Amino acid sequence: MEQITLTARPRTVTGKQVRQLRRQGLIPAVVYGHRTEPIPLTIEERELRQVLQRVGGNQLIRLQVGDDQATRMVLLREVQREPIKRRLLHVDLYEVVMTERIRAEIPVVLTGASPAVQRGEGLLHHGLEAIEVECLPGDLLPHVEVSLDQLTEVDQEIRVGDLSLGERIEVLSDPDELLVRIIPVETEEAVEEVAPEAESQVEVIKREKPEEAEEE
Amino acid sequence: MLMPKRIRHPKVHRGRLKGRETRGTEISFGEYGLQALEPHWITSRQIEAARRAVVRYLKRSGKLWIRIFPDHPVSAKPAETRMGGGKGTLDHWVAVVKPGRILFELGGVREEVAREALRLAAHKLPIQTQFVARQTVAGGEQE
Repeated sequence: MEQITLTARPRTVTGKQVRQLRRQGLIPAVVYGHRTEPIPLTIEERELRQVLQRVGGNQLIRLQVGDDQATRMVLLREVQREPIKRRLLHVDLYEVVMTERIRAEIPVVLTGASPAVQRGEGLLHHGLEAIEVECLPGDLLPHVEVSLDQLTEVDQEIRVGDLSLGERIEVLSDPDELLVRIIPVETEEAVEEVAPEAESQVEVIKREKPEEAEEE
Repeated sequence: MLMPKRIRHPKVHRGRLKGRETRGTEISFGEYGLQALEPHWITSRQIEAARRAVVRYLKRSGKLWIRIFPDHPVSAKPAETRMGGGKGTLDHWVAVVKPGRILFELGGVREEVAREALRLAAHKLPIQTQFVARQTVAGGEQE
């Protein structure tokens, strides 16, 4: 796996003033961890964008803070974005201890094509999108590939227990959890629209509890 | 059509549509979504029309989630009525939508299919919208 390096500078500006940093092309970030005090940082937006395009949530990044010679191994924990334009707002980095096991979610990527789906006999039902694992940070996988080529008939399925991720990675997700299944195509086309519920104009108006004023 | 089952107050103030949505702005259930870019009241009829457009196009494949609910009552006076005489009766229900809100989500379909289904749905709505895809990884770019 390629090693990605990110450089950051310690930040003193906090709160709403960080807007000024964003205007200058600097994205506020924070690094924290099990044995690390939280350190506010700034990262150049351009560099961060490039890293985000190459890195997933469970890929180790080498973080260099300021002029500090020592680098930290971090994982991307959370990326906050502005909801409409998707501009970067803030990034959380989690510093890992390379000898301590961590829990992480590995995304499931489907590869290939199921012959049953290609023949038009079935539809692909995608279950779990990520599986939870526990392992050393160095053993984390960017994703798990699940090949659909083996699903040749309708009702065939792949469950979490069918995956083999090696001895170093302990899978925490339920082995019976469904990853992918070929479901039969529904033939009746007349029932394409399901009426949600009968249009009832009746609505029960819940009244305030009648206050029985004690009358003389 | 969507409407609350029980309410406490059938007539409420209109309120103001200021600012952007702070909740319900991320795709939580499906893979693709339709996001509002303008503030507006969306009526339960419009939500139903959009839902039908999607369901009709998808033909039982995929799954649709409706992320807004019309819980705001709107009252109206009967036609050709003189002013006065108090507030009108309950007429219809609206969902109060601000920019950024995810209106619908789709899962279990290819992107081209989702795009087309949500394009048809968007034509039933009174606001500008945009198609969005779920973030696949923590830092992955979203459309």
